[in-house]
Amino acid sequence: MPNTMILKRNTRSLSLLAAAAALLMSAGSAMAKDIVFGASVQLTGPVANTGRYYRDAYELAIDKINAAGGIKVGNEKQKIVLKLYDNQSDVNLSVRQYTQLVSQDKVNFLLGPFASNFALADSAVSEKYRIPMVQGGGASDQIFSRKFKYIFGTLAPASNYFGSTIDMMKGLNPAPKSVALLYADDAFDVSVAEGTRPKLKEAGLNVAMDERYSTNATDFNSLLSQIRSKNIEAVLVAGHETEILNFVRQAKSLAVAPKMYSFTVGVPSEDFRKALGKDADYAFGMTAWLPSADQKDRWFGDAAQFAAAYKAKFNYEPDYHAASGAADVEALAQAIEDAGTTDPAKVRDALAKVKFESLYGTIAFAANGQIDLPQTVIQVQGDQLEAIYGIHGAIKPPKYPMPAWNAR
Amino acid sequence: MDLLAQILINGILLGGLYAVMALGLALVWGVLNIVNLAHGAFIMLGAYVSWHLYTYAHIDPFLGLPITAVVMFVLGYALQRGLLNLVVRAPMFNTLLITFGLEVVLTYLAQLAFSADFRTINPSYAGDSIQFGAIVLPLARLMAFGVAIVLTVAMWLFLLHTRLGRAIRATAQNLVAARLYGVEPRHLYAVTFGIGIGLAGAAGGLYGTVSQINPYIGATLTAKSFAIAIIGGLDNPLGVIVGGLFLGIVESLTALYIGPTFADVASFGVLVLVLIVRPSGLLGKTA
Repeated sequence: MPNTMILKRNTRSLSLLAAAAALLMSAGSAMAKDIVFGASVQLTGPVANTGRYYRDAYELAIDKINAAGGIKVGNEKQKIVLKLYDNQSDVNLSVRQYTQLVSQDKVNFLLGPFASNFALADSAVSEKYRIPMVQGGGASDQIFSRKFKYIFGTLAPASNYFGSTIDMMKGLNPAPKSVALLYADDAFDVSVAEGTRPKLKEAGLNVAMDERYSTNATDFNSLLSQIRSKNIEAVLVAGHETEILNFVRQAKSLAVAPKMYSFTVGVPSEDFRKALGKDADYAFGMTAWLPSADQKDRWFGDAAQFAAAYKAKFNYEPDYHAASGAADVEALAQAIEDAGTTDPAKVRDALAKVKFESLYGTIAFAANGQIDLPQTVIQVQGDQLEAIYGIHGAIKPPKYPMPAWNAR
Repeated sequence: MDLLAQILINGILLGGLYAVMALGLALVWGVLNIVNLAHGAFIMLGAYVSWHLYTYAHIDPFLGLPITAVVMFVLGYALQRGLLNLVVRAPMFNTLLITFGLEVVLTYLAQLAFSADFRTINPSYAGDSIQFGAIVLPLARLMAFGVAIVLTVAMWLFLLHTRLGRAIRATAQNLVAARLYGVEPRHLYAVTFGIGIGLAGAAGGLYGTVSQINPYIGATLTAKSFAIAIIGGLDNPLGVIVGGLFLGIVESLTALYIGPTFADVASFGVLVLVLIVRPSGLLGKTA
C-alpha cells in the first residue's frame, strides 16, 4: 500500500516535470524567434489613471504589427512579445523592474513608463545596460540633458508645452494684462515653468504671480484668493490631473473667473472632462496629437483609425499619451527593420536616424533623443473639445474672455 | 486686508473639513488604542458610497450622509468583530501592521471595483458661493463646516451624557473597572470602531463634494488626520476641532506668505512642535 502511494506520487511528479520541461522548451523556442519589448508601467497606484494609456497603446500597437506578420529583420519576419510589469506608481520599484527586465528577463528593447520622474530614473538603467529605451511618458527636458545615448522620447519638450498657448495669447483681444504661472514641484512641471517664464517675458506679458505648489496639493484656496486679489487675467497651471480638478472646482466655489486658464494635463482626457461636467467649459489645454485622418500610418492606416480601434478595444478614448505610446512601439519596429538586426547598439543608431510618418506625427529624434512636435492649443467649448491654435496659426476662434461663473 | 481675511476664512473652512476627517481616527485611537492606518481608505470608501448614492439614486450628498455613515458603520463593526479584535490586546506594532495591510487591500479592491477614473460629487450648488463685499464663502465648504461642527458637538454630548458614551469612556480609562460594572468590551469595541468608520464615511461624502475621488486619496488623508489628532489631543472631540482649525489656518497662511509648496512642511512642522511642547495635544491634559 505505501509503495503504490510512492509510485503514484512519483509518476505524478514525473509527468509534472515533463510538462514543465515541455513548457520551458516551447517558451525557449518562442524566445529565439520573437523580439521581446519590456516595460514597467503604472497599472495601480495614484497615476494608474494615466498609466493605463501606455499599457493599452503598447498592446494595441504590438497586436497590430504582429497581425501584419511582425517586424522584418533581415530576411525573416519576427513577432513582438510584450513583457509588462506593474510598478504600482512607485519610482524605486520601476527602476528595479527595468533592471530585472534587462538582466534577468533579457528583453531585447525597452518601452517607457509614464511620467517624467519615472523616465528620469529608469533611463539610467537603459543607459547602463546599453539597451535602447523609447519612452512616450516623460517630457521633462532634464531626461534629455544628460547626454544619454540610449534614451529616446516621443513627448514634445516640457519647456515648450505653453509655447503655442503664449503665441495665441499675443493675439487675444483684449490681451490679458497679467498672468499667473503656477506649477507643481516635480521634474515635468518645473521644466514646464522654466521654459514658460522666458516665453511669457518675450511675449511682453506681465507675470504677476509665479508660484510653486507641492505635488498632490488638494487645497488651492490661498492661490485662488491671491489670483482674485491681484486681478490676474490669465492663469497657466502645470500640474497633475487631480490637482487641476481641485483647482477648477475651487475656482468655481470661490467665484474666481480669470479671462482664461490653461492646464498642461487633463483637458485632452475624456475622463477628466467627465469628472468636471459642465465646469470643464472654457478650459484651455494643449495636445501634440489629434486623431486626424490626415495623419497617415503604416500599420493603422491613419490616426483616426487608430483612435477608433483603441476606443473599440478598451472602451475609452485615447489621448496624446496613448498615441505617444503607440508611436514608441512603431519607432522601435521601424528602427529594427532599418538596422536589419536586433543588436541593441545598431538599433540605437538606427533610432537616432529614424524618420517616418506615423499616427502620432513625424517621428524623428533630435541629437539629445527627444522628438520635437508642436503643441496644438485646445479648448473645451460646450461639450466639445476644439482645436484652437496650431503651428499655422488660428484654427477656430477661442471662447474668450471666460464669463463669470454665475453668468454661464 | 481683504486678502488676509479671505485667507483666514479659507483656512477655517478647510479646518472644519479636516476636523471631521480626523474625528473618527481620534475616537478609535483614544478608546481602542488602535492607530488606524486604513482610516483614509475608509474616507475614500465613504466617498464612493456617497458618489454612488448621488449618481445612481440621485440622493443629495448632504442628505445621503446618514446613509453613508450607517453603511460604513456596519462595515466597521464587522471588520472589528472579525479581524481587528484578534489584535486588540496585541502590541501596538501588530495593530499598525494589520491596519496598514487593510489600507492596501481596500485601496486595490477599490481600484478593481471602481477603476482609477476620477469622480466628483457635483450637485448644482457645489460651486455656489455667498459674497459679503470682497469676502467669498464657498457654499459647499460652509455646509461641510456646519456638518463638522454638528458631528463634533454631537460626539462630545454622546460621550459625556449617554449610557453607551459613558461606557466607551470608561473602557478607555480602565478596562477592568468597566468590566466589573458590566460593560461587554467586545461589543463595545466594535461599536466604537463602527462609529469611527461611520464618521470617516461621512467625511468622505463631504470630501467628494468639495474635492475629487479616486482609489488613492486615502494615504494622504490618513497622514493629515493623524497630524490633526495629535495636535488636538485625543481626550475629547473638541480637541479635534481645534486641531483641524489650527492646521487649516496654518496651511492657508503658509501658502500666502511663504509659498504653497511649503504647506506640508508647515503642517508637519507644527506637529513636531506640538509633540515637543504639549505632547498630549493643544486641549489635552498636561502630564
